[in-house]
Amino acid sequence: MSLFFDLLSGSMMITGLVFFVGTVTGMLRFPDFYTRMHAGGKGDTLSTILILLGAAIHVFEDFFYDPLQWGVLLVMVKILAIAAFIMLTSPTSTHALMRAGFEDAHEADETVVDKDQDGPSLEELQSGTWEERS
Amino acid sequence: MELLTLTAQFEWILGKSNYWASTVLLLIGLHAMISKNNLIKKLIGMSIFQTGIILFYVSAGAKHGAQIPIVHYGHDSHESHDKAAHAAEHAADAGQQVAEAAAPAANHAADATHTLGETLYANPLPHVLMLTAIVVGVATLGLALAMVQKVYAAYGSIEEDEVLDAIADSTADSTADNTVDSTVDRTVKGTPEA
Amino acid sequence: MIWQLDLILLIFLVITALISLRVRDLLGASMVFGIYSFLICLLWAGMGAVDVAFTEAAVGAGVSTVILVATVYHTRRVTGGHKRASGMKLLSLLLMLVLGGVLLHASGDFPALGDPTSPANNHPVAQYYIEGSYQDTKVPNLVTSVLADYRGYDTLFETVVVFVAGIGILAVIGVPTARMRREEVCGDTAQFGEDSDLIILQTCRLVVPVLQLFALYVIAHGHHSPGGGFQGGVLFGASYILLALSGGLREALRRLSESMSFRLAACGIVIYAGFGLLCMALGSSFLDYAILDSILPGGVAKARSHSMLIVEAGVGFTVTTILFVIYANLATRGKLEGGL
Repeated sequence: MSLFFDLLSGSMMITGLVFFVGTVTGMLRFPDFYTRMHAGGKGDTLSTILILLGAAIHVFEDFFYDPLQWGVLLVMVKILAIAAFIMLTSPTSTHALMRAGFEDAHEADETVVDKDQDGPSLEELQSGTWEERS
Repeated sequence: MELLTLTAQFEWILGKSNYWASTVLLLIGLHAMISKNNLIKKLIGMSIFQTGIILFYVSAGAKHGAQIPIVHYGHDSHESHDKAAHAAEHAADAGQQVAEAAAPAANHAADATHTLGETLYANPLPHVLMLTAIVVGVATLGLALAMVQKVYAAYGSIEEDEVLDAIADSTADSTADNTVDSTVDRTVKGTPEA
Repeated sequence: MIWQLDLILLIFLVITALISLRVRDLLGASMVFGIYSFLICLLWAGMGAVDVAFTEAAVGAGVSTVILVATVYHTRRVTGGHKRASGMKLLSLLLMLVLGGVLLHASGDFPALGDPTSPANNHPVAQYYIEGSYQDTKVPNLVTSVLADYRGYDTLFETVVVFVAGIGILAVIGVPTARMRREEVCGDTAQFGEDSDLIILQTCRLVVPVLQLFALYVIAHGHHSPGGGFQGGVLFGASYILLALSGGLREALRRLSESMSFRLAACGIVIYAGFGLLCMALGSSFLDYAILDSILPGGVAKARSHSMLIVEAGVGFTVTTILFVIYANLATRGKLEGGL
C-alpha cells in the first residue's frame, strides 16, 4: 500500500515536470507573444497543481496509516488550499499579461492581430464597428 | 587511496560552498554599485549585496539534520529533569507566582522524553538579526527608488554620466547668472556630490 | 539540508544575479531580480531559516519587485549603450579580485557548513535561547521570542526605521497640493473599479479578503508557527497594493487614506514604545515584560507571551501602512493619482 502511494505521488510529480518541460519549450520556441503566453499560462498552472497534488498525496500517506493525526491532515488541507489558490490566480495573471500585451498591440508591429486581415483593430473593437464577415 | 582523497576534497567543498557563493554575491553586488552606469542597476546591486550578507549569516547558523527553530511542546518537552529542579529552586526564592508557573513546568519535565541534545534545533539568533536586515533593506530600497524618480524628474535621465553632465551644466549656468531665480524648480540646484 | 539542492540553487543564484545586472531592459532586470529573491528564499528554507524565508518571499520577491517596476514605469525602461570611462571599471574589477581573494582565503578558516559544534552554534547565548526561552516565555517559536522579547529593543528601532522610510519618501517625492485635492475628491461615490478589467477585478475581490484574514492569522499565530508581526504586516500591506493594482489607487485610498496610514503607523510605534514605558512605569526597566505579570493574568511567562503579541500587532500596523504608502507614492510619483 505504501508502494502504491509512493508511485502515485511520484508519478504525479513527474507528470508535472514533464508538462513544465513542455511549457518552457513552448515559451522559448513559439513565434509570437500570444502563443507564448498561451503555452506559459496553461502549462504553468497545470504543472504546479500536479506537483502540489503529488505532495499532498505523499503527506496523506502518513494520515492513512494513523487516522487520528489531525496535524497531518491539516498539512494536506493546506497544500490543497495552495493548489486552489494557484488555480484561481495563475490564469488571472496570464489574462492580465495578455490583456496588457493586447492593449499595447496597436503600437507594436509583430502581432497576429495586426497581420491578420480579418481581425479587428483595437479601435474597431472598442467602438463596436467591427462586423464579422462569414 | 585516490578515492578517499577525492571524497575528502568533495566534503571540503560542500563545507564551504555557501560561504563561497556568499562571497561571490557580495562581489557582484559591490561591483554593480560601483561600476554600473544606470541608477536602477546600482540599486539592484545593492539588494544583491544585502542578500549575500544575509546568506552568509544564515549559513553560519545552519546545522545538519536540525529542526526549524520552533520547539515541540506537546509530546516532547525540551526541559530535562535537572533543569526543572533548577527552576523549582529559583521559584522558591522568587515568590509565589513564579512557583505556580514552575509547577506545570515540572509536570512537563516529568513527561520529558528528549533532552535538548537529542532534538537539534537550528540556531535562532542569526535568523532574528537577518529578519531585521531584510526589512531595513526594503525600506532603504523604497527610499532610494524615490530618489531615483526625483533625479529623473529633475535631470531627465537615470544614467549616471548624463546626470553628472546635467549637474555640471546647470551649476555652470547658475554661477554665470549669480541671481536666485525663485521660479526655477529648486531641485535643479542640487549638490553635485549627492 | 539537502546538499544537491543547495548546490544547484547556489549556482542558479549566481547566474540570475549576473543576468539581472546585464539585461538591458530594466523591466526584465526587475523580473529576474524577483526570480533571484525566490531562489534565495528556497535556499534559506532548505537551511531551516523558515522565518527569514517567509519574510524574503513576502518582502523581497513581492514588494521589492512591485516598487522596482513602479520606478521603471516612471523613468526609462531601456538602458545600456553608454560606454563610460573604463578606468573606473578596471579599478573596480581589480578591487573585487583583491577583496575576493582575501575573503576566499579567510573562508578556509571557517568551520564547515552545518557543523553543530561550530563556535557560532555553541555560543552560550544561542544555547540559552534554544533551551530556556520556552520556559521563560511559553512561546514555541524561538525566532519570535528572541525578536520580540529578548531583542525587543532592536525590533522597536527597526519599526522606527520603516516609519522613517515612509516619511522620507513623502518628503522626497510627495506633492503637497495634489495630495490635498485628492483627499477632497476621494469622498465621492464612484463604482468600484469601473475602468478595470472584469476578470482581474473579480478575482482580486475574491482574493483580498482571504489575504487579509491570512495576514491577521500570521500575526496572531506567529508564536506557534513561522510568522509574526513583520510577515503578517507585509501581507496586509500587499493586500492593499493588490486592491490598488486591480481596482485603481483611488479605491485603495478610499479604504485607507494616506493621512490615516500615517496615523496608524505612528500608533504602531506608540503601542510598542508605550509598552516599554508601561514596564518602566511599573518599576522595571524598558521593555522588561516580566513586570507586567502584575496586570496581566497567567503568570510571568504568559505575561511575556501576551505582551509579545501586542507589540507584534503594533509592528504589524506600522509595516502595513508604510508599505502601502511606499507603493502609492512610488507608483504615482507622489501625486497619488494616475500612474501605474
